[in-house]
Amino acid sequence: MGNHATNAVRTCVTTGLPVCLAAQRFVKLHAVFAVIFLLIGGIASILLGLTRWPAVHLLDATWYYRILTLHGLNMLIFWILFVEVAILYFVATTLLNTRLASVKVAWTCFVMMLVGALMVNVTILVGQGDVLLTSYVPLVAHPAFYLGIILVAVGALIGVGNFFATLYIARRDKTYEGSVPLVVFGATAAAIIAVVTLLHGALVMIPTFVWSLGFGTAPDPVWYRLIWWGLGHQSQQVNVCAMVSVWYLLGALSIGAKPLNQLVCRSAFVLYILFINLASAHHLLVDPGVTAGWKIWNTSYAMYLAVLASMIHGFTVPASVEVAMRKKGYTQGLFGWLFAAPWRNPGFSAFFLSLVIFGFLGGITGVTLGTQQINIIAHNTLRIPGHFHVTVVGGTTLAFMGLVYYLVPLVFQREFYARPLARLQPYLFGFGITVMAIGMSFAGSYGVPRRHWDVEFSGAQFATGFDPGAHVMLGLLGIGAVVAFLGLLLFILLTVAAVFFGEKNEGRAMTAW
Amino acid sequence: MTEHEHTPAEARCSTAEAHDDEDEHHYPGTVVLTLIFLLSFAVYYFANWKALADVWHVR
Repeated sequence: MGNHATNAVRTCVTTGLPVCLAAQRFVKLHAVFAVIFLLIGGIASILLGLTRWPAVHLLDATWYYRILTLHGLNMLIFWILFVEVAILYFVATTLLNTRLASVKVAWTCFVMMLVGALMVNVTILVGQGDVLLTSYVPLVAHPAFYLGIILVAVGALIGVGNFFATLYIARRDKTYEGSVPLVVFGATAAAIIAVVTLLHGALVMIPTFVWSLGFGTAPDPVWYRLIWWGLGHQSQQVNVCAMVSVWYLLGALSIGAKPLNQLVCRSAFVLYILFINLASAHHLLVDPGVTAGWKIWNTSYAMYLAVLASMIHGFTVPASVEVAMRKKGYTQGLFGWLFAAPWRNPGFSAFFLSLVIFGFLGGITGVTLGTQQINIIAHNTLRIPGHFHVTVVGGTTLAFMGLVYYLVPLVFQREFYARPLARLQPYLFGFGITVMAIGMSFAGSYGVPRRHWDVEFSGAQFATGFDPGAHVMLGLLGIGAVVAFLGLLLFILLTVAAVFFGEKNEGRAMTAW
Repeated sequence: MTEHEHTPAEARCSTAEAHDDEDEHHYPGTVVLTLIFLLSFAVYYFANWKALADVWHVR
């Protein structure tokens, strides 16, 4: 029923699903470079963690802000976007049994994203891009910094276009029956949000790039902040959508879980498309450039419709796991199904830990911090990174790591070495990130600012500083950062070893976790 | 009850299917987890309003 050319497809022995070989090549390419950017961002993260820990205070001020810029762009943009394009290609071609729409377009997307990301990283490391992730004007970086971001954004947009074209030819060629699977639906929602996000990126970066070349005047700072967050925050909403899709996929792959109710789950994705973009307003809750009415409408009304979507998924995903496990006979008590779950399978443990960390820690702190009145006591403190490290890292990154534990054996057709270490890795990483985020959140509650090199205010004219409790929490942050980095390093070592040196499993099913 | 043993056969992707038959739904454990979540949220939310009230007095 598929539309593949001869010898352009293989059947996965493990899942029975068709794998488009052209798409497989690009999934591999994007995945490999995603992990490289994860490594760069990860090295930056340990340097930052050991600088925010006052007892260590590793970097000097210049390098702290330089590395912070490097960390933000690699972790929040490059690692995530490269994985997401891989996810789009994989779910569209495999679950819809179709060929990739265009190999040339896929190459264009990949090369543009790669060149752009390298330009940005080199520009930062040579000291020409010390403007942090937000790059608020009138701070100005070298034009290569903005051009690199534009290339990544436009390249990703081209990849998203290729995904939509793939959906079109699958429907045209009737390669599947009925509606698209929920995972593809979720990925499509992520792609739609990505289009809006990347257009914001182009809208804000192109005039800033022109200005950095010496033409015209700087963009209006208020306009810049408003539009930039249309890129900066919405890109994280693409992550949320992709992460939820990965939850459903990992539930299916690890224990055969099925979505509870297609209509409810799909409606929640539609709520994301309609309302999640407005959540970016919470970055501007103390910004004098926008009105109180605008802030209140976006964060006290519209944002909750997106929160409702997350709460729906937060219920249906574990419920689908419980239903699947009970059907297998694990019906003892309230939580017999949970204790009997495959916790030794890193694909499952990463998925479920991601769900818990994202929902309990990220969700609760996010809704609270997004309340305008409460935001006034938390804005620009370490509570904010404390929140988003449990959503983007403990949530999205951990879920993507879980996906890799299936991606490598199923797409790269290689087996993992040191499987006991692979089983340990999600716990190590999840624990480290949780401890780090708790340290950040409580230090922020003491008033410790975010993006600040020296909370001791060395050399200040007046005695200043923070409560000793804040220092305890900053120490916790540092310890959590070290543990999380070890978990990250372990993940990268295991993945690289498997991809390049792992035992081939072509022609047979993957070794069960 | 021992930990669920995963086998390759169970990895067959079932994402195109759904439990749309309501009779199959039985998830009391998830309901309890959800109530714990809501309670945690209520406590954290209240604590933050209390912290706000402590630094921003309404006269």
